[in-house]
Amino acid sequence: MPANESITASDTGNGPMLEPARGSEGELCLHFSGPWDLAHLPSEPDAEARLATWLASHPEVANGRQATVEGALSALDSAGALVIARIVDGLEHDGRQVNLDALPAGQRKLIDLLKGRLAPRERPKPRRTGWLAMIGRATVGKLIETNAFLAFVGELSMQGGRLLLMPWRVRWREVVAEIEAAGLRALGIVGLLSFLIGMVMAYQAGATLSDYGANILIVNLVAILTLREMGPLLTAIIVAGRTGSSYTAQLGTMRITEEIDALRAIGISPFEMLILPKVIALMIVLPLLTVFANILGLLGGAVVAAYRFEVSFAVYFDRLPEVVNLTTLLLGLVKTPVFAIVIALIGCMQGMRVAGSALAVGRATTVSVVQATFLVIVIDALFSVLFNLMGY
Amino acid sequence: METMPTVDEHAPVARLTGIRNCFGSDCVHEGLDLDIPAGQIIALVGGSGSGKTVLLRTLSMLREPDAGRLELFGVDATQFGERRRIALRRRVGLLFQGGALFTALTVLENVMLPIREHTTIRGKWLTDLAMSKVVLAGLPADSADKYPAELSGGMVKRAALARALALDPDLLILDEPTSGLDPIAAARFDELIRELTDSLGLTVIQATHDLDSIWRGSDVVAFLARKRVLAMAPATELAGRDDPELQAYFQGARSWEYAKLHGVANSSTA
Repeated sequence: MPANESITASDTGNGPMLEPARGSEGELCLHFSGPWDLAHLPSEPDAEARLATWLASHPEVANGRQATVEGALSALDSAGALVIARIVDGLEHDGRQVNLDALPAGQRKLIDLLKGRLAPRERPKPRRTGWLAMIGRATVGKLIETNAFLAFVGELSMQGGRLLLMPWRVRWREVVAEIEAAGLRALGIVGLLSFLIGMVMAYQAGATLSDYGANILIVNLVAILTLREMGPLLTAIIVAGRTGSSYTAQLGTMRITEEIDALRAIGISPFEMLILPKVIALMIVLPLLTVFANILGLLGGAVVAAYRFEVSFAVYFDRLPEVVNLTTLLLGLVKTPVFAIVIALIGCMQGMRVAGSALAVGRATTVSVVQATFLVIVIDALFSVLFNLMGY
Repeated sequence: METMPTVDEHAPVARLTGIRNCFGSDCVHEGLDLDIPAGQIIALVGGSGSGKTVLLRTLSMLREPDAGRLELFGVDATQFGERRRIALRRRVGLLFQGGALFTALTVLENVMLPIREHTTIRGKWLTDLAMSKVVLAGLPADSADKYPAELSGGMVKRAALARALALDPDLLILDEPTSGLDPIAAARFDELIRELTDSLGLTVIQATHDLDSIWRGSDVVAFLARKRVLAMAPATELAGRDDPELQAYFQGARSWEYAKLHGVANSSTA
């Protein structure tokens, strides 16, 4: 077996080379050459493992106490230096004295720098959590979430109740600004969607009713459904997606940039300044938007009824007061302040709970919209049961 | 990608000529020239609003200058399209003032990202290589799995340094690297930069207000005033010059103590 056998770290032959040999005094002599940098190192450097194999088959140098490193490296960056530093570290760990003096000063310095700061070879594996622990964690998480929501409602009631006794302390400027953002600017989308849903309902109702020649009943169906359910529900869901999410994103970002803490530090309650105006504004805006949605929904129904099912505008609006009355409208509207409180509270609470990173803002916004939409529909169902029991 | 000191000692790593940077009608740089000599640590100093950060952004190709020419490693970067600039960007490491770590990723993942993006390295070697940068930047190994939000200010800077070093840049650009650090941490950071410069063959340019960094942590000081680099020389030499703006900067109450420490006071008061 030749004394000089090369361990090439690449197959091309002009890559990084390591030639181990037995030196004149029986010591291990490592000759490095070629470019030892990221561009030339293989994607999984195995020089250390190959050296170990070589040492195993050369017992005459394997047990020596000395080792010298020499060579002329045409390039060396920190990746190459890391590989060499680990080899040197491994040799020292086996009890050898490694001599690097034959290397150029700059390269030796770099290898020394990396050798002085080697990370532990094996990183502790992140502990995997079992399914039982995951269920437990999720359960506790939900409990904490519920508790946080209750605490939030409590704090809002305390502060809100106090402010109701002193309405001049409510920040009406903020309230007006929120009304513009959540109400005025939502008119377009709420109106358009309500109009379309009104049309769709009229189509579906008309298709069946016209078979029996009962086209006129389209008015009953569209009017009752719109005023009692579609108007309030659709508006609340649009507002939850549009305004609730923006509350979460705004407050969440303000949490991360420490603006909320800055408010506290100046002596302004974030509840008073940011949250209460949003809740009040939404409680004012949502019923108004719902009325607007009702009107557009009825109009949408009227258009389809007139052009598709021969119920003229005159007949449609003539019949309208006969099938619905003020109670129908109010039964729909009475739900909307409750929706408004839920949407604003969830939006604000999720925003205020954001901690850490930009990612958390995105996650909180998703949770906010999902929770708000879910609760709006659940509450709507509860109202339906309640009204039914009350005989409406 | 040659990274060892095969670089010609005399050729500048970067050369800015006739740079103009304007925001609307408000120009922060006008006819600015700057050569960055290889293998040195250059401190970029100047009053607030003198355009240090803007200059660093120009240098790192994040901001297109309104006029003038940027040469990096001997090639004209202003002529390049975005695709060819990527090759240049790999050779430039940038440390943002606030760290700008990706908050959704751990420290280790932050460092791995540029390596994974620009090389074919994967698996354990990728982790090892990134880990070596984390430790090199002076972070304890167990901080590698932490998220940026869990780090202190000093650790954020070090983690950002580890990411800037990920691809073995030839030029390291630091924006206020020691701001927000306590004096001891700041001094350690300066030492670390010095050590890395010596062993990795780096060239460093850092915008700084830190008097320690200016006087002890840098080889050359580039002084930014009147919309250009007014002077560039070692701090001791600049502090002794007659120019009123230089005097105002270097002989401000605190800076003057340093000047005296470095024996400048005697020569200039004569």
